[in-house]
Amino acid sequence: MAEASGKTLMDLISADPTPIPAKSSSSASASASASSTASPAAASAGSHLQQPMSTKTTLGEKKSKRATLTQIQNDTISVAKAALNPVKANIMPQRQRQKKKPVSYTQLARSIHELAATLDQKSSQKQLVNHVFPKLAVYNSVDPSLAPSLLMLNQQCEDRNVLRYVYYYLARILSDTGMSPGGGIPTPNWDALADIDAGGGVTRADVVPRIVNQLTSEASNSETEFHARRLQALKALTYSPSGNSELLSKLYEIVFGLLDKSKADVPVRCRSTDYVPCRFQVADVPNKRKKGVFGTKGGDKESIIRSNLQYAAMSALRRLPLDPGNPLFLHRAAQGVSFADPVAVRHSLEILSELAARDPYSVAMTLEKLASPAGALQDILHLNDVLARVALARLCHSISRARALDERPDIRSHFNSILYQLLLDPSERVLSDQHFIASFRTDERASGWYRLTREILKLPEAPSKDKSNKTKRPQPLIKLVMRRLESSFRSFSRPVLHAAARVVQEMGKSRAAAFAMGLQDIDESVHVNAFSDVLDDAETNDSSHPEGIRRTSSISAGPGRNETIASLLASLMEVVRTTVACECVYVRGMVVKALIWMQSPHESLDELKSIIASELSDPAWPAALVNDVLLTLHARFKATPDMAVILLEIARIFATKVPGKIDADVLQLLWKTCLIGAGPDGKHTALEAVTIVLDLPPPQPGSMSGLTSLDRVSASDPKSALALQKLVQAAVWFLGENANYAASEYAWESATPPGTALMMLDADKMVAAASSRNPTLAGALTRLQRCAFSGSWEVRIVAVQALTTIAIRSGEPFRLQIYEFLYTLAEGGVQSQLSEMHLSNGEDQGVSGTGLGVLITPMLKVLDEMYVGQDELIKDMRNHDNANKEWKDEELKKLYETHERLLDFVSLFCYIPKAKYLPLGPISAKLIDTYRTKHNITASSGSTDPTVLATGISDLIYESTQPAPAASNSSGLDDDLVNAWAANLGDDGLLGNNAPAMSRVNEFIAGVGTDAPDVDEENVFSRPSVGYDDMWAKTLLENNELEEDDARSGSSSPDSTGSVESSISSHFGGMNYPSLFSSKPSSQATAKSSGSKYQSTYEGYGSPIREEPPPPYSYSEPQSRESFENPMAESSSRSYGSDDDEPRKSTGTRFGTALYDFTAGGDDELNLTTEEELEIEYEVDGWFYVKKKRPGRDGKMAGLVPVLYVNQS
Amino acid sequence: MILAVLFANSVGNVLIERFNGVPAEERLTWRSFLVKLGAENLKGVKNEELLVACHKSVYIVYTMLGDVCIFLVGKDEYDELALAEAIFIITGAVKDICGKPPTERVFLDKYGRICLCLDEIVWNGLLENTDKDRIKRLIRLKPPSEF
Repeated sequence: MAEASGKTLMDLISADPTPIPAKSSSSASASASASSTASPAAASAGSHLQQPMSTKTTLGEKKSKRATLTQIQNDTISVAKAALNPVKANIMPQRQRQKKKPVSYTQLARSIHELAATLDQKSSQKQLVNHVFPKLAVYNSVDPSLAPSLLMLNQQCEDRNVLRYVYYYLARILSDTGMSPGGGIPTPNWDALADIDAGGGVTRADVVPRIVNQLTSEASNSETEFHARRLQALKALTYSPSGNSELLSKLYEIVFGLLDKSKADVPVRCRSTDYVPCRFQVADVPNKRKKGVFGTKGGDKESIIRSNLQYAAMSALRRLPLDPGNPLFLHRAAQGVSFADPVAVRHSLEILSELAARDPYSVAMTLEKLASPAGALQDILHLNDVLARVALARLCHSISRARALDERPDIRSHFNSILYQLLLDPSERVLSDQHFIASFRTDERASGWYRLTREILKLPEAPSKDKSNKTKRPQPLIKLVMRRLESSFRSFSRPVLHAAARVVQEMGKSRAAAFAMGLQDIDESVHVNAFSDVLDDAETNDSSHPEGIRRTSSISAGPGRNETIASLLASLMEVVRTTVACECVYVRGMVVKALIWMQSPHESLDELKSIIASELSDPAWPAALVNDVLLTLHARFKATPDMAVILLEIARIFATKVPGKIDADVLQLLWKTCLIGAGPDGKHTALEAVTIVLDLPPPQPGSMSGLTSLDRVSASDPKSALALQKLVQAAVWFLGENANYAASEYAWESATPPGTALMMLDADKMVAAASSRNPTLAGALTRLQRCAFSGSWEVRIVAVQALTTIAIRSGEPFRLQIYEFLYTLAEGGVQSQLSEMHLSNGEDQGVSGTGLGVLITPMLKVLDEMYVGQDELIKDMRNHDNANKEWKDEELKKLYETHERLLDFVSLFCYIPKAKYLPLGPISAKLIDTYRTKHNITASSGSTDPTVLATGISDLIYESTQPAPAASNSSGLDDDLVNAWAANLGDDGLLGNNAPAMSRVNEFIAGVGTDAPDVDEENVFSRPSVGYDDMWAKTLLENNELEEDDARSGSSSPDSTGSVESSISSHFGGMNYPSLFSSKPSSQATAKSSGSKYQSTYEGYGSPIREEPPPPYSYSEPQSRESFENPMAESSSRSYGSDDDEPRKSTGTRFGTALYDFTAGGDDELNLTTEEELEIEYEVDGWFYVKKKRPGRDGKMAGLVPVLYVNQS
Repeated sequence: MILAVLFANSVGNVLIERFNGVPAEERLTWRSFLVKLGAENLKGVKNEELLVACHKSVYIVYTMLGDVCIFLVGKDEYDELALAEAIFIITGAVKDICGKPPTERVFLDKYGRICLCLDEIVWNGLLENTDKDRIKRLIRLKPPSEF
């Protein structure tokens, strides 16, 4: 028999289930044996009598029809044939045969039916236990049609081993067999199979009620001899899916009944009040327990049986759904604490700790007596069961933290003292225990401490009332904890190391949280030694605590103690660092995470950097883990915005070392958050961190990043090459979108006199001047230019797009620089200028033949248009000045139309704030403004512009407009931002609860709120489409001469004639337009007067070219912003409803009514009924996006409607 | 919750698996993740040397016992330490049944008993019995503590 079963699983799986040859084919004997098989079952349930037989016949008849089920059919048929043999004869020959052939499922099933019928023979039982049941276990799941035989066995068999198997299989049938396969040889979905055999298949639904009935009746059987089976029956019952409420209530009934009964057995009984029996038990049970636990054999039979039943009941209760509001449930669970059976005690504690997380008050009240110094909870401290102690720790933790218990400090202190004992007590026993137990004890300490970290640290201050405790406790506790942690780090067991690192990480998290909160506290706690924050985090974790407590504690964390904590921490970190040597990647990953969390902004990060760098060079790191660490960086940054620069440095290591493994989206998210949070100082570094990606893989000095190296990588590993390329693409895109933000260089708020650049005709000088003025942007430009002609094809496209974006957004000379570059690129002549820097990659460096020209041309055209417009304007202005004429209205109108047209073109490429952006240069500001004021045109603010939503910069713009004023207050760190982050942290629950920050970050990344731009989508979006080109063609046809004009690099290019004057005037305009703007809303008259003032000042300012140093970037930003926006908003609200037909957009929400009925023509459009009230969200291309007050007939609330159909109110 | 208990042979065939609270569609992923993890890391590892991994907030502890790899996946209260405890009990039970670190053949020979043992150790995703004698009694349908 042993040999037969000694086949490998694979043999069994692959074996050909050849039918067993039938020895006799008399149908009479077949039916005889079939009935003999089923007859015992018939006694219990007639309905299932003939099923096994009928299944077989049906299958046999339909054999040819079901090709997919051939194997099972074959099996079944073979069994059907085998069934023709007399039962007894069948057993023995089968055994012999099985030495050669593997056993098929159906053979086994068949044997069960047969053996169940011949239970009276010893050999049958032997066969079942040794042969049939073990082999059946190899199969994934059990056929429900076996249930009748199993139930019969269950009723009639005496053999314990057989019965144990029977319970096992019944439980498996009860649990969703189809749903939870158990490994091994796969089995079909029995229910589906039975459904096909509409004739006679047995489904789970058929047999489950019978099984449940039988098991429940067994579970309620109170015979002493039967109680072991009761245990198993109850256990099997808990496997049934919890959806069945009827069964559930039955189970509760049984369990409570058992518990009730066991309580009734307690000799001293008093039922007068609810708590009394409980208390009596407490007083009573410790003695019993001694017998139960320590004198297993010696106890009296009754109490042992009772404790066994208690165990079964408690275990079952643990598997049943929690019933938090039910006092009976709670009471039963609490009873379990004083049971003699250790497993029952553990389960009871686990239930209680889960309940305590929801309703600490009632749990604490129930356990009041048990927790007292002589109570049962104290005994658990000496239990051998580690998990029980962990559960106890959790229970005490949640109770002692509960605010509901604020008015019952006595109870709380009981639990606290248990907590302390948990922490202190077992240490002595560790020594005496066996070695492995010792390691587990330290584990438990570690995990216990991890769970209690905050608690321990907090306890001294917050809840306990006596002062003496306050001052004395924390010191030894922290010391103890540190020592334990250190010793866990010396363990050889990887789980222990991993857990210890995790604990340190959690510690770092709370420390970081403390830092974040510390920033908000204006008192001296900010300046206290950094390590006191470890103490601080204690109470800041519990953010709900009143301010007062926090204060006192930060004072109590006096400098004297800091010293020790600092040194403790230092030595701990030393040990942590050495753990990096562990060979398990995951442990190392956790250690790195811990180090990242423990890194404080003020410490040197060289060590961390070198650790990470050396770690990452290990190829064993899986990509998931690398990204996990990156996300840790992100979370760390969110906790401490100061660290942006440090973290980016680290992220840079990642990008350089393992570009192939990093998810571009994750990295981009990190960049973006860091860029926004880095503050004015960090922006450059932040951008540098991004550009470094462009030099990947580890750069050969002065070489191009792109194609050659990419090709090389792709030769070895296409997947990582692809990943790298995506990364580079993402970086390029990111640069294009955000370089202007990082460099604080915006065309619409440029502090630079644009003219100065125009004077420098030499491109090199121009670039040099620009880079000295704004190295951040210059650096980004250089990198992008390099990518634009030497990267892979995809990278080049994105690079060109990025350059255009920057060109449009930046002022001179950057725009000019890019313009020149693009032009040369389009001509294919860049090589000559830059070739010494770059190796040839075999691909044409220019445009010809690559199709890049198609992309560049429209971009160039936009820039051309802008420059042409500027030149025209300058010419006109000069003419006016010379002739000393006022601007006529139609002239202004023409100018304004050009302005609007250019705006529209430009915003096709990237987002720009339409209200401020001046495609015709700063000098046009006053004229356009004059025109606008005259005609009551509201400048669109742009922030409701739908394009904003798509470009991804919207939030940057938002961030830049909101916190920038504060940033320029030379504080170095934006208070609003910090507050927001701190508040966020609070909301996030980093302080409040223990939810791991990682998961939050993950949610953040997965969620809708994500603004991590998807590179591909962005490309699609920003890539000029055919439609766009068509549009261009149309417009440009109309402006034919213009185009010709600027075919030779445009008249506003360096060699243009009017550059000197224009430089002055634009300088002037640049200096003044904000303030002029601010005076705008007063009235038309003022506007006019200011206009004339402008004329006169202009005359006076006129001729001398001043070499003024460019004003600092941060010049008067706050005022300018304010004076900028508020009047605008005001004027917009005031001038609304005027009769102009210019496209308008407003910042706020507007309301209107439907003028006519409108039938939606598409999914995004909205049906309108006349007179319907609407809320206008924004306008786009002659359509309003509106919201209705209530859904219309079609159920839609919001959508697009034509502007003309809406009467704005 | 112990999300999964999985036994595999050295070539990555799943011998026994018990999933708890893992949706059916995720099981395949877990299965292949674990098998891959084992294939990458379990070569040349000593018997019962514990290895650890984590994926987000889910912990994995795994080990090699004879020819059989044993994986435990857990979350929440079943962190790496609790899993280490559980896997220790499981390996102990398997060794008891097989008499020594099992070859695959021996393991399959004792398959039924191992299943019963596992049934007593991990019950519906929660660690149940940890005591060897107790487990032994329970798989013979004897009461947990005898009189």
